[in-house]
Amino acid sequence: MKHILYRELKLNLKTFLIWSISVGAIGLICILLYQSMEGDMKDMADMFSNMGAFSDAFGMSTLSIATLSGYFATEVGTVHGLGSGMYAAILAADIISKEEDKHSGEFLFTLPVSRSKVLTAKGICVAIMLVLFTIICAIFYVSGFWYLGEELPTSEFVTFMLRQLLMNIEIAAICFAISALSGKSKMGMGLGITLFFYVYDLMGRVVPDLKDYLFIGPYSYANASEIFSGIEVSASGLILAVCVSICATICAYVIFGKRDLAS
Amino acid sequence: MTNIVEIENLTKSYGKNRGVINVSLEIKEGDIFGFLGPNGAGKSTTIRSMLGLLKINSGSIKILGLDSVKDHEEILKNVGYMPSEAWFYDSMKVKDVIKYAADVRGIDCSQEAEKLCERLKVDWNKKIKQLSYGNRKKVSIVCAMQHRPKLFIFDEPTGGLDPLMQKTFFDLVNEYVDDGATCLLSTHVLTEVNKYCRHAAIMREGRLTMLDSVDIDDETFLKFYEDGVEE
Repeated sequence: MKHILYRELKLNLKTFLIWSISVGAIGLICILLYQSMEGDMKDMADMFSNMGAFSDAFGMSTLSIATLSGYFATEVGTVHGLGSGMYAAILAADIISKEEDKHSGEFLFTLPVSRSKVLTAKGICVAIMLVLFTIICAIFYVSGFWYLGEELPTSEFVTFMLRQLLMNIEIAAICFAISALSGKSKMGMGLGITLFFYVYDLMGRVVPDLKDYLFIGPYSYANASEIFSGIEVSASGLILAVCVSICATICAYVIFGKRDLAS
Repeated sequence: MTNIVEIENLTKSYGKNRGVINVSLEIKEGDIFGFLGPNGAGKSTTIRSMLGLLKINSGSIKILGLDSVKDHEEILKNVGYMPSEAWFYDSMKVKDVIKYAADVRGIDCSQEAEKLCERLKVDWNKKIKQLSYGNRKKVSIVCAMQHRPKLFIFDEPTGGLDPLMQKTFFDLVNEYVDDGATCLLSTHVLTEVNKYCRHAAIMREGRLTMLDSVDIDDETFLKFYEDGVEE
């Protein structure tokens, strides 16, 4: 199994580096831009905090973008949330189905290793990649704070990154199950699901009737504005995330273990 | 002689589409068994069921005395399979693919792999994506043979190979069989069956018929195809 894991890590390394460095670098550039915009931020912060539903959706009604923490939560929080979610989706949505889609399944699945062991290796690969993705992005963001000589709100920052990681794992688990369903690449569907969850979260913060159901979406508990404002996140969202991740992973094993593999 | 392959009443369908119906087959140790039949007759379905790639509807498959469902991993340790289409990971080098197959098996096959590469003239520093169809087939032969399995399963192995490589391939098969291995050879080429196989069966429309002799003439052989179904 370790050889399959090692090969998966190697095969996914290039995509991993492109995504982690891109998302991290975009976040870092956003942080560095703060210094040049700092003077104008005060007026902008007042304006953005009074834009009703728009301000609610992007968290600018609770945080001031005139401070680096507030700016980080609203700007980098969005970049990281979308970027990491999309990476989790494309990584997991393809990791099983690619074997049949690219016809390498007949080679891999006729080696003396069970389907469940192959899935375990691939699942571990996804988890490792997501953890490393979070660490690399965190290094970029911390470097930005350090370069500007600003104090990093460590507790909020760590909470934000960990919840983003959980959100990525939830999205990846859903996409992992989808990938096990079919022998065709489901990358487009994975990206669609991520964008749907993101828009669902935005809508949920604007439409009053949706607020009670906001916890269903993975972006609810990973919202940077809430975390940096010190707003307590309902436990139901976190519990649901863990349950969805476990159930989706079990589904992947059950479905993949029972179905015919395409040549 | 012990049975290396024992298939009893194997039935496999794809939803409403026919796969194979009530196939029973025995292959004895040391045999080179020819498996003939038109496209879509069910040869690959039978082979893929034996390897656990397909989930069978009914019947049983025993390979090397082991149950193909319960002892799937154990069986694959002693099987060398070459699919009709040889696909690997494009970005990997030939030597990495060959080593990867050996590593997953948990054995050092470097000496045997080197010998096979030499005889089949495999350039193992090339990347898979640089290889022609025939050269990918040769890599597939190395992966199937390097661990010296007890049972070889070849699905249309010679397609894409030049005549010299076809001869080398059959020389290798004969050498391994002389050393105690068994071979199931699915093919469309009658001369391969006549020349190399000791027993043979023909599949048509999902059903299997054992042939009395491998020495069948072209006319009899083509009769099986004339009424066959196309994929």
